[in-house]
Amino acid sequence: MSDGFGVRALHPAVLLLYYAGGIAFGMLLFHPLILLCGWGACLIFNVHLDGGRSWRSWAMPMLVMFLFLLVINPLVSHRGRTVWFYLGDLSITMESVAYGATMALFLLGLLTLFVSYRIVVTEHKFLYLFAKLSPRAALLVMMASGMVPRLRRRLTELMLVQRARGITVTTGSLAARARNGIRLVASLLAWTLEDSLQTADSMQARGYGTGPRSAYTVFVFRQRDGWTAAGLLLAAAAILVLWQQGHGYLNIYPRLEPLALDAGDCGTLAAYLVYLLLPLVGEWRDRRAWRALNGAK
Amino acid sequence: MESVEWREVTFHYPDAAAPALSSVSLSVRAGEFVVLGGPTGSGKTTLLRLLKREVSPGGRMSGRVLLGDIPIEQLQPRDAAASIGLVMQHPDNQLVVDTVEHELSFGMENLGMPRSLMRRRMAEVTGFFGIEQLLSRQVDGLSGGQKQTVNLASVLMLQPRVLLLDEPLAQLDPLAAREVTGMVKRLNEEWGITVIMSEHRLDELLPLADRLIRMENGTVVFDGAPRAFAAEAWRGQDPAWLESLPIVTRWALAHSEDASVEPPLSVKEARQLTGEGLPKASTVAREQPQASSETASPQPEHPPQASSAGTSAVLGTAAPLLAADGLFYAYSKQDPAVVHGLRWTIRPGDRIALFGGNGSGKSTLLQLLAGLRKPQRGEVKLGGQKLSRLADAALYARIGYLAQNPLLHYAHDTLLEDLLHAAARAGAVRPQEEAERIADRMGLFKLLGRHPHDLSGGERQLGALALLLLGRPQLLLLDEPTKGVDALAKARLARHLDDAHRDGATLVMATHDVEFAASFASRCSLLFNGEIIADDVPEAFFRGNLFYATPLHRLLHGRSAEGGLPYQAASSTEGTR
Repeated sequence: MSDGFGVRALHPAVLLLYYAGGIAFGMLLFHPLILLCGWGACLIFNVHLDGGRSWRSWAMPMLVMFLFLLVINPLVSHRGRTVWFYLGDLSITMESVAYGATMALFLLGLLTLFVSYRIVVTEHKFLYLFAKLSPRAALLVMMASGMVPRLRRRLTELMLVQRARGITVTTGSLAARARNGIRLVASLLAWTLEDSLQTADSMQARGYGTGPRSAYTVFVFRQRDGWTAAGLLLAAAAILVLWQQGHGYLNIYPRLEPLALDAGDCGTLAAYLVYLLLPLVGEWRDRRAWRALNGAK
Repeated sequence: MESVEWREVTFHYPDAAAPALSSVSLSVRAGEFVVLGGPTGSGKTTLLRLLKREVSPGGRMSGRVLLGDIPIEQLQPRDAAASIGLVMQHPDNQLVVDTVEHELSFGMENLGMPRSLMRRRMAEVTGFFGIEQLLSRQVDGLSGGQKQTVNLASVLMLQPRVLLLDEPLAQLDPLAAREVTGMVKRLNEEWGITVIMSEHRLDELLPLADRLIRMENGTVVFDGAPRAFAAEAWRGQDPAWLESLPIVTRWALAHSEDASVEPPLSVKEARQLTGEGLPKASTVAREQPQASSETASPQPEHPPQASSAGTSAVLGTAAPLLAADGLFYAYSKQDPAVVHGLRWTIRPGDRIALFGGNGSGKSTLLQLLAGLRKPQRGEVKLGGQKLSRLADAALYARIGYLAQNPLLHYAHDTLLEDLLHAAARAGAVRPQEEAERIADRMGLFKLLGRHPHDLSGGERQLGALALLLLGRPQLLLLDEPTKGVDALAKARLARHLDDAHRDGATLVMATHDVEFAASFASRCSLLFNGEIIADDVPEAFFRGNLFYATPLHRLLHGRSAEGGLPYQAASSTEGTR
């Protein structure tokens, strides 16, 4: 889908705010139920963006990590009052199991959030934000990201042709492969270095280094960005105030509190969900506009 | 105001005995379209770069270079960068950043232009070039022609008064080259930009240029109208000069009885001339195709004869050296197949020229035939044995593949080292001797100690060919060997390929260079839509084609090109070096 639709059309600054908050609140609201709901919200977010395709491709590593954390924490941490059983002479406590589970849920939510980040915040948007801070660094990033596909393509070409000369990393002894690998990379670098002299000429020819640079930017801060930012800030304020008053997190050590949510916790959860799902409002609106458009045909 | 002048310019590179330019005085009026010709090393690039001070070479210079009436070193840095635009040879290496939009805005950002101005320029220039739809693309995914167009556009964003082009077409295929040339001509005509363009191949440019300047050994040896150049070259009969004339011009002048005739510069003009006064051609003029199957259809999309590959009687019935049957290849599941159901046979002793549009899969096909890529379906058999059954070493000893970029073939720090390794791999008893012998034969002996990157384009090509020939392959597959090399290097290459052929190598060459192919090949094939759709001897192949045809064939469309200038005419200039 194009950059002009729904969440993707939001201003990079708003998106940055959203993800910064998303990460921060995940850390603050350390409660398995809240985190579970947050994860669900992030998943919904992902499904809206691309039908959950990218998330599915990450699902397996995430599951492995989830199970790993679940198991490893009780094994290495023996804090907590309530001992469930002994494994050899290791005490497995209820608290460390709960902590491991919460931690695992937190990371699961965080990674899910990052999957959507990769879809929404394209290099373009990232660069735009970056360029304001340091145009030079932004240029470097742009040059590097232009370089990567070029290098990759060249290496494939080089490997293809050099195989005919017996310089290959797929056959032979380990030492020979390593030697050949170094040879290939050295040729690639020599080649690239040679070409970069011309690139430097091309930069100079177009006035690089003649004075301060300006930035050609394409993102406009629109009304919707303003509303979304205001909504996000409001929800964030609510979460912070409630958290200050001791709501929205679980005291695990030394003794596990009951899991049930009180009124304050529920309020925090609601604010958190509003925060996570707020950018989707634009998405829903745009979809309705599309449906209306298609229906009218 | 915008005129350009070199006043008594002499330039020495550091450590060079002879000057690269010796007292060159030239002036170019505002709005002129000047083409700069001359062999490699004649000082064209130096001349252009001295005008573009950001990239001027280091060395000793005397004389002055002026833009308008101001010496260029007195211009403000930003003014100097903006007023003179430069586009160079390699499309890839001039691209600095990742996407087309960033690339186009790069120069404007450097000059610190306000955003509103940048956006307006962006709209204007992309509109002029028709590249709006490319804006969000990654530059790496563009074709060579598109890349060069982006380079040109990004220079024009700064609204230069003078546009310098240093062999901008050398790395492009003919179609893309024509497109870029057309853009440059439009810029010159519609925007009044002064254009100075250096190029090896002049035949497409002569009709467009206002003025032609030929350089040799750092001096200007001709400066005048293109037509005057053609007349002068014909009068002098210097092969190096004649070489740069369009082949139709040479043909028309050779067949004209009236020595004072205006030299024609294009097929159209030559045709008008043949209509008027060239007796030989007018007697054989047959504008209408005859009903015989031989001249069946003039449309290029219907190739004459041999529509099913490899069935033509002229191609002989010797046992095939290499046979491809039902080849199917796609780069990935999502991509369309590059070749599908391809059948082709190569017989011992063939010299095949393989034609095909841009991105039609010529390179891929050669790589499949060389066993470098494995087809998803179908088999390639070398002398009856399946390629997939052959061990790598045995296979690559028999088939040599020369990539489009010869640099890909080098892996060591000197040419000698590379040759030694190749000789050792080919099983030579005395690699040193072998390496020196082949270097001597290819005229590379003096260059043995050089780093491959320090060789010229033509030398790299010959070096890579030497690497392959050390293995004495039965079959040589060459991917556009004439791309970006000048006429002299091309003639040299043709001679070495001849030698290799005499030593028993069968040659297959993918190419866009119709003239070279017409003189080189014993068989021409056309790859289209993943299949070989025409396969015949050159004369029959070219006759009736309009696109895949030499300008001479176009001129004599439907007739035989008797008395044509064979490419070997160029090889005769070889001895002069």
